[in-house]
Amino acid sequence: MQSYVHVILAGLSSGMFIWLVASGLTLIFGVLGVLNFAHGSFYMLGAYCAFTVLKYLGAGFWAGLLLGPLAVCAAGFVVERFFLRHVYRIALPYQLLLTFAFVLIFDNLVKIVWGGGALSPPSLSFLGGSIPILGRNFPVYNLFIIAVGPTVALLLWALLEKTWYGRIIRASSSDREMAASLGVRVPALFTGVFVFGTWLGALGGGLAVPYVGLLTPGMGETIIIEAFIVAVIGGLGSLKGAFVGALVIGILSAFGTRFFPAFDMALTFILMGGVLLWRPQGLFGATR
Amino acid sequence: MGEPLLTTQKLSNHFGMVCTARDLDLSFERGVLTSIIGPNGAGKSTLINLLTGHLPVQSGTIRFQGRDITRLPIHKRVRMGICRSFQIVNVFPELTVAQNVMIPVLARTGRSWRPIRSLSRETTVLRETEAMLTKVGLLPERDTPATALSHGDLRLLEVGVALAAAPMLLFLDEPTAGMNPVERVRLLENIRQLAREGRTTFVVVEHDMDVVFSLSERIIVLHRGEVLCDGTPAQVRGDAKVREVYLGDDVSDLFRINEE
Amino acid sequence: MRAQTRNAVAASAVLLALCAVPFLAGKFAIYLTMRIMLLGIFAVGYNLLLGQTGLLSFGHGAFYAAGAYGLGLFGAHVSTHPLLGVAAGVAAAVLVALLIGYLCVRHTEIYFAMLTLACGMMVFSLIWNLREITGGDDGLIGIMRAPVPLFGGIKIPIGTDGQFYFFVLFFFALGVWVVHRIRQSPFGLALAGIRENARRSEFAGVPVRRYRLAVFVLSGAFAGLAGSLEALLESNARPFMAHWTHSAEPVLVSLLGGMSSLAGPLVGGAIYIAMREIIQRFTENWMLWFGIVLLVIILGFRGGVVGTLSALFRKAAAKGEG
Repeated sequence: MQSYVHVILAGLSSGMFIWLVASGLTLIFGVLGVLNFAHGSFYMLGAYCAFTVLKYLGAGFWAGLLLGPLAVCAAGFVVERFFLRHVYRIALPYQLLLTFAFVLIFDNLVKIVWGGGALSPPSLSFLGGSIPILGRNFPVYNLFIIAVGPTVALLLWALLEKTWYGRIIRASSSDREMAASLGVRVPALFTGVFVFGTWLGALGGGLAVPYVGLLTPGMGETIIIEAFIVAVIGGLGSLKGAFVGALVIGILSAFGTRFFPAFDMALTFILMGGVLLWRPQGLFGATR
Repeated sequence: MGEPLLTTQKLSNHFGMVCTARDLDLSFERGVLTSIIGPNGAGKSTLINLLTGHLPVQSGTIRFQGRDITRLPIHKRVRMGICRSFQIVNVFPELTVAQNVMIPVLARTGRSWRPIRSLSRETTVLRETEAMLTKVGLLPERDTPATALSHGDLRLLEVGVALAAAPMLLFLDEPTAGMNPVERVRLLENIRQLAREGRTTFVVVEHDMDVVFSLSERIIVLHRGEVLCDGTPAQVRGDAKVREVYLGDDVSDLFRINEE
Repeated sequence: MRAQTRNAVAASAVLLALCAVPFLAGKFAIYLTMRIMLLGIFAVGYNLLLGQTGLLSFGHGAFYAAGAYGLGLFGAHVSTHPLLGVAAGVAAAVLVALLIGYLCVRHTEIYFAMLTLACGMMVFSLIWNLREITGGDDGLIGIMRAPVPLFGGIKIPIGTDGQFYFFVLFFFALGVWVVHRIRQSPFGLALAGIRENARRSEFAGVPVRRYRLAVFVLSGAFAGLAGSLEALLESNARPFMAHWTHSAEPVLVSLLGGMSSLAGPLVGGAIYIAMREIIQRFTENWMLWFGIVLLVIILGFRGGVVGTLSALFRKAAAKGEG
């Protein structure tokens, strides 16, 4: 019983963590129609910036979490405003390759600024340590992640469904031309959404600092694949889908890792293949 | 007359709450040039999409030469002899006019799969492509990329690509849309000529009443997914229901032709 | 001079130059030219899928790896005959491409790209985890370059790089010739039609899904060929070959050189490797500069090097006549 509960908890925390990273990716795709390879880089930048605030500016974890992602937003703004904007209307390969070019650029910039080696952050005082659950210790921080996930989901839902701004975002994503002719300044809106999505990714990175425990320049590349899979399973562009997909992947992977360790990486892909065979557009995706 | 080319049995389609096709029982005879008319939203495009395989059938059946083709994929229907042109020009943009027309010819002659043989050696295909280009009057433009054509020539290409599949039954979806009068006359003459040659049966969706009444041997009037009237131009002109539905500009056109 | 004759002359000149390299250049240049040819085979076959048919796959590294591991495992367990080994590698790649392709071609655009990406990474993780068979993250090592047995008991040695060079050159020339023929063929035109307008191709009677699968497997075969040749060249097979960042290489290279011509991916491959060698002398972070080059190309020179240059030549020629 105890191991099942712990596996589920582990699955929930990894699932919610992936949801946090995938949320920004999904939002950007849903509104702008662009799949941002560089989202993993923004995640990585968020982690590194938060780490810098934490370590070199002597501020606490929360300050790092607050300031780090904000710094990354500047990068997001530059990417969208001066580069991505020019490729919205051209063929998919160019869009993907543009974001991929930024992966190369950011990954190497990080190596130049922070060095190519791994960085370990200092351990947390407030949310650090573990508490016993059913007799076995479970990290407190992971419980924190399990709480943050649905909170962010709720906030995003409220933003998109209940606010005026959210309504405009939804309208512009389904019909760009109509929104523009109704007076919405679509380019500015797109920049705003992109920066917000970048912020979400960077926030994931900031939260990753105590969770993953080690910062490397390659951390963006591994996380982006998982985020892609979750987004595809849930249906590209659907935040609800990404949330559900992340939960499913998180819990099933946790069981897989525990009971079938040889297949841990392949399991996620097999799951994705299975879902797409059954529903080609993902769980909650729009049928074309 | 013999067995009809294409028949439908209780063909129906819903788009959410809107019924776009309601229990349609239609039959198309070989060699009879038919027009499908109706006000906007009548279901003309839906019908073409269902018959050609563009839209999956929700209920009902379609038979071509007696064979059930309801679930047949598009390219198989084309190989059987059912083809269509599109209302919005839908050609191969970066390819030349000749290449555009060659693709259906290659598919029809079963040669499109050949990976090593050079196209320049496919003399039959090249000859047929030239013949088709001459038929629609686009031979001088053969090496022009489709993106560089004038609108009228594009519409000719649109019909040409559809014709190149040498279909038995060809659905033309508003072929003269946006054409100037000269181009329109030329295209209609082409269609009349080709219909006379007898190899292809044309079914034309049109809005222009002059075109419809001068070209067709049979007119089907659709309204809200149902057949309002189905008969010769004279029968349609005289039908009270048709006048009622067309109250407005087109009716006066109908009356004008009536008085001539 | 007619374009066709001009191209034939240029191709012959390049072939002649390539034949001359082992006699005129040093060891490192020979090695580098072989790497360029391998990347050329990978990219020119890949571009049949991307540039000709319009499908973006981010998982072709899986087929490259299949070729490498196929040859390596064949050599370890069956025979070290190089030609049979290459055949085994290509066969393995074709098999994997058939499986993955069948799953993926029913999807379009972005889902296709993501699915192939994920399938490629699945192959990567399988190679990584199945240690007993594939050697895990150490890879397969000690792959031998045995002499090529021909009829009459003659054995052609390919042990040294200078000798192996001609083995690679043979497959490079063969591969490029095959792609050239396909581009000029009815099948090639049908693929171009699918790229330009898949829906209309259906209505022209072209079996679109079947042809997409066919060209997917074909490009996979080329990837497998390149992979098996690399296994012989480097004497090893590594899991990284199936990683998505390796799968990105033929995409980048085709874009760099130009997606609409035969020569584009080849020129792109040569520039890519040359750039890497030169920039790496000055800085470790050459990928940063490559990223910047990529940005410039996407924003301004989408025809790639070959596309942009031929457009310039055409304009100059037109002005000359005017």
